[in-house]
Amino acid sequence: MIKGPAFRRAALAAVAVSAVAILAIADNPSNLTDSLKAGKLQLKSAGALAFGPDGVLFVGDSLGGSVAAIDTNDHTAPKGAASINVDGLDAKIAAMVGVPADQIVVNDMKVNPLSKNVYLSVSRGKGPDAQPLIVKVDTSGAVSNLSLDNVKFAQVSLVDAPAANPAARQDPRTTTITDMNYVSGNLLVAGMSNEEWNSALRSIPVPFKNAEPGATLQIWHDSHGRYETQSPVRTFVPYTIAGQAYVLAAYTCTPLVRIPVSDLKAGAKVKGQTIADLGAGNQPLDMVPYKKGGKDYILVANTAFGLLKVQADHLETYPTIDSPTKNPGTAGMPFEKITSVANVKQLAQLDLSNAVVLTATSGPGPAYAPGPPVGPMNLKTIVLP
Amino acid sequence: MLLAGVAAAAQSVAHSPVIELQNGAFRVNGWAAPRSEPRGGWGALFLVYAGAGKVPPLVGAYAVESGALVFHPRYPITAGVHYHAVFRMPSGATIANDFDGPARATNPLARVEQVYPTAAVLPSNLLRLYIVFSSPMSQGEAASHIHVEDDKGKVLPDELLPGQELWDPLFRRLTMTFDPGRIKRGLTSNQTIGPAITEGRHYRLVIDRDWPDARGVPMVQGFARSFVGGPADRTPPDTAQWRVTAPASGTTKALVVDFPGPMNYSLLLRMIQVTRGQAKVAGRISLERHEAEWLFTPDTPWQTGDYQLAIDTGIEDLAGNHIGTAFDIDIFEKVSKTIERKSLAIPFTIR
Repeated sequence: MIKGPAFRRAALAAVAVSAVAILAIADNPSNLTDSLKAGKLQLKSAGALAFGPDGVLFVGDSLGGSVAAIDTNDHTAPKGAASINVDGLDAKIAAMVGVPADQIVVNDMKVNPLSKNVYLSVSRGKGPDAQPLIVKVDTSGAVSNLSLDNVKFAQVSLVDAPAANPAARQDPRTTTITDMNYVSGNLLVAGMSNEEWNSALRSIPVPFKNAEPGATLQIWHDSHGRYETQSPVRTFVPYTIAGQAYVLAAYTCTPLVRIPVSDLKAGAKVKGQTIADLGAGNQPLDMVPYKKGGKDYILVANTAFGLLKVQADHLETYPTIDSPTKNPGTAGMPFEKITSVANVKQLAQLDLSNAVVLTATSGPGPAYAPGPPVGPMNLKTIVLP
Repeated sequence: MLLAGVAAAAQSVAHSPVIELQNGAFRVNGWAAPRSEPRGGWGALFLVYAGAGKVPPLVGAYAVESGALVFHPRYPITAGVHYHAVFRMPSGATIANDFDGPARATNPLARVEQVYPTAAVLPSNLLRLYIVFSSPMSQGEAASHIHVEDDKGKVLPDELLPGQELWDPLFRRLTMTFDPGRIKRGLTSNQTIGPAITEGRHYRLVIDRDWPDARGVPMVQGFARSFVGGPADRTPPDTAQWRVTAPASGTTKALVVDFPGPMNYSLLLRMIQVTRGQAKVAGRISLERHEAEWLFTPDTPWQTGDYQLAIDTGIEDLAGNHIGTAFDIDIFEKVSKTIERKSLAIPFTIR
């Protein structure tokens, strides 16, 4: 009885998924790991993470001004549905690398879409000498350190050549990589400069070619009303709207902006359109798009607002927000606050209906930026709401 | 063979092995390690833990050195860490030993050297602050330790942009951004909460002493500075209004460039260069008059002739306006084909 339409929908969904998979394969006829060479990968920091095809993990190294592609050699699908729950993850990581737990900083978290194992970029220490770590939590909850001493990797530099004068003071410039996503053969890298306000989104062809740092794109968006700004992207996801590929970006001043991927070309100035505003005094952390009950949603993790479930159907129908709203946070796409999970510091998609979150009691700072968490970091699997 | 085995066993009974920490490595002394790794790896015999409860063992590498099994931790012995080393003898008996890393440092070293901009009156659309420390600091602490207070000492929330700390590679200079949502015209927060800084109001920037440095030790002292909100600045910098004062030939006196108002401190140190022909002139940059004056002292004396100031158009004033473009521009229509990284030149002559 239940089998009828529901089963057909499921079958259709399966067809849709395989069509996507075929497209992804068509983008990369050979295995991406073939382009990587074995050796010792040296990172100065490990920040934003993104998974590409074939279990390749991209790691943003803000202090090193580069991005690395690493073969995780982790391609085996789990037996059955994965559910990962590890309490006191910070203490486990700290013990593994021999440091007090208060010296562990988790910078980003992603799930390997093939194996469903969780990967975290971690700093061992909080100062300039902090060592970067890539930590893996497998579906059984075992915590391990991904050794970079002998891995297959490729690295691409994002910065200009260093100053020719070796006596010159150390260049104080850094570009903090705020987020990365693999989008049809390119790695999109959003960065934020510690000097200039204007920052570009970079599109790097994958596999990396020599030292080709890719094209930079300046994205302007309508802030409300007639003023337009070029601002650093804080977090973004690839998203299909009416059959067209878009990037949905959350900016440092919390609007959600849609940007057509077809516009993201070398040397382009791109115009994005603000279609939602999540409100002031808040920082978006991660976005997970998903489908539930035939409808599209995006789960957004935030510093001050916690988890927000944003309705994301028919985004083509949302007009550009062109006037400030009286009530902050109600503009554009409707959303609801998810109160069942609190203190989310990291959010990543696990599978079609589950996500993993890293939670920790917030520090003593203001709600929008509470500072280092107090107490244990717990990794949990949650059902997408 | 058998005799040798018995002799070895007798020896290990006579001298029970002991785990020692020598030169940063954990060593099982008094046990003759076989040359080859046992089934299950050395980790089946010897593990070091650096935390309580159910935690993974310390990562590192094993070696047999002078007949002794040695564990070299991947990371050096660290202050504040307790190590518990366990060796399981082939007989099944285990021995253990505990060690402590050095005590954590407690002597304060760090202080705030300067906060830029240094002027007492700051535009109400001020975009960025640069905080320069004397020692490397801990990341992740800024929001809890930097406060903007009103004239009554009340902490104003939501002044600075949440999250994403922007440090230099030495973790000595932190870049803080005022919430651009409250600066840009037309944005919700600008309309509903108002700008972060109001013209005519008095404020105090406070940095707490208990901000830990990179070693986890609080600063020597905190920092506070008062400032007054000035009018918003929405006029892009215009080099036509810059005044260049050229020094005399044969001297190493400073070339002086005066701006109508203060400029972005970090970009002043990087985005203006002195050139002669195609060559960059070597020298030292300093800033005066609260970053409204740029001075360049050459390494070698000026020579008679034509020079240029090469200016990157990305140079910003305190409100994030840069040459040719205001921070929030009115309608973006002109789409150029390429991203231009333009530079402007101001010629000057040394006589």
